[in-house]
Amino acid sequence: MIFEKRTERIFLAIFFLIALCIPLFMEDNSFFVGKITTILILAVFVMSLDFLVGRVGLVTLGHALFYGLGGYLFVILTPEYEAVNFWIYAFYVLGVSALIALIIGAVVLRTSGIYFIMITLAISQMGYYFFFDSLEFGGGDGLFIFIKPETSIFGLNFLNLDNPTHFYYLALLGVLITLLTIKIVLRSRFGRIIEASRLNPERTEALGYNIFAFRLISYVIGSTLAAYAGLLFALQYGYVNPQFMTWEMSGTALVMSILGGMGTIYGAILGTITYEGLQYFFEHVSEDWKLFMGGAIILMVLLLRKGLAGYLEKLLEK
Amino acid sequence: MSTELFFVQLINGVQYGLLLFLIASGLTLVFGVMGILNLAHGSMYMVGAYLVWYFVALTGSFTVAAILSAVIALGLGILIERMLIQRLYNRNHLDQVLLTIGMIFVFNSLQSILWGNDPYGVAVPEALSGSVPFTDNSSYPIYRIFAAVICIAIAAALYFLVSKTRLGMLIRAGESNREMVEALGVNIKSLYTIVFAIGVMLAAISGIIAAPMSSIVPGMGESVLITCFVVVVIGGMGSIKGAFVGALLVGIISTFAAVLIPTMSNMIIYIFMILVLLVKPQGLFAK
Repeated sequence: MIFEKRTERIFLAIFFLIALCIPLFMEDNSFFVGKITTILILAVFVMSLDFLVGRVGLVTLGHALFYGLGGYLFVILTPEYEAVNFWIYAFYVLGVSALIALIIGAVVLRTSGIYFIMITLAISQMGYYFFFDSLEFGGGDGLFIFIKPETSIFGLNFLNLDNPTHFYYLALLGVLITLLTIKIVLRSRFGRIIEASRLNPERTEALGYNIFAFRLISYVIGSTLAAYAGLLFALQYGYVNPQFMTWEMSGTALVMSILGGMGTIYGAILGTITYEGLQYFFEHVSEDWKLFMGGAIILMVLLLRKGLAGYLEKLLEK
Repeated sequence: MSTELFFVQLINGVQYGLLLFLIASGLTLVFGVMGILNLAHGSMYMVGAYLVWYFVALTGSFTVAAILSAVIALGLGILIERMLIQRLYNRNHLDQVLLTIGMIFVFNSLQSILWGNDPYGVAVPEALSGSVPFTDNSSYPIYRIFAAVICIAIAAALYFLVSKTRLGMLIRAGESNREMVEALGVNIKSLYTIVFAIGVMLAAISGIIAAPMSSIVPGMGESVLITCFVVVVIGGMGSIKGAFVGALLVGIISTFAAVLIPTMSNMIIYIFMILVLLVKPQGLFAK
């Protein structure tokens, strides 16, 4: 069983059950379905960050760089007025993202600790200003996706991306794939070494493992998953702009993941839903929603030591 | 670039660098002594600027407004440390990051509730308005020279405080071995409160000094925060001397880049920082 904890199994069972059914009851309310789709996409992004920060031990404040790259690469790689195949082009986008992550990772992983946080932040700021100041990539306005890709596999076409419900299931599939990918990686021999190198790098190195290489591969995996989330987000809204890459975006994802319970992976889903839910609620209650949001974040840090997942586990384990 | 333009830009760069140092010094002091990465440091800069604008409008005197704002900032620092930061000393760094992000939300929101979202400006105090002739056809605003002098004075005071006074001795001791300092009977809790409050006040003073030179807008704290990170990282986290050198380098480089390579001027300090970290992974003055 790749889901070791009882709490994790219960949460994921309930989550997927509800998530699968939502569009059935909400078919007419395409705004709501769209909103939940966005939350699912963000959950993919936050899970990929949770994997890097909580499990590999790489605290990055520049994760949004890859979120933005996923969107930008799609628009840059596809011909402008043509419905390309989603799967083929997603493969290209992820391939190029992985390559970029490999190069960036090889540079940033030379530093550690607080300097790693700062160098990742600097690189994503460079990316932000690169796109912001560029004329060919649309500057601050970004780029638009005029025609949504088609999604046929071997001539079979299940999904129409213009249909919000279909897009919803594509995002949910993204959550499932991301969750399984991370879980399988963590369960493997590779994952064990990653865990060991987070807990005790010196000892792991002494055992003969090249920590740098393991971390680099993890960085590429996490970043590529983030790029997939960014690609989905860009497709849902039909544009990509430098706002995808702000450090606030990285920071918010970090907040969601800490809120959910760092390193628990399923907690990232929980954290994303809670954060987005709270924000949605406060935005409707008051114009000054940021005050309540900030207050809620501060309270949760003070009261929940291991995030929401930690609280749930306290209730459900044993 | 003519020699004249070169010198004007150089002075601009140094002046900007000195202001950056003043903001970054609080950040690096708090990190060095307490190990806390305060993401809300930029918000304190914003608070300083808004407070001085508010009090200038109220009292009409920049001096009175500046003193009032600095004192309020000091009190705010004590309050935040006592109510929030103190509870997180035994927790990991990520919890501190989360807490200070929450504080950014709160401060930005309070700013918009109390003072709205319109941009404001503070007039340069009358005694410091006007400019000194530089060459035949260029001159330099007196207020900017005054700002630079104040920054140098505060840098000197900070140096004196940390290296010559008893409090400074305790701060340095707390940096290198906090358990030992505690064991020797020093109340490390109040030491931390003082250091954090000084950090907040330094950020606010920078905001006060910057107010007549820039517009006071929502979000001004965040943009300055990231530049401060660059400064502090180049110099070496926790090193005040490093922050000084880093701030001058960043100030001069970004000022010249804005003139020479405008399309890349925003990126250049990040490129510089990455180059520094590749050569010295702990910054220039790592401890």
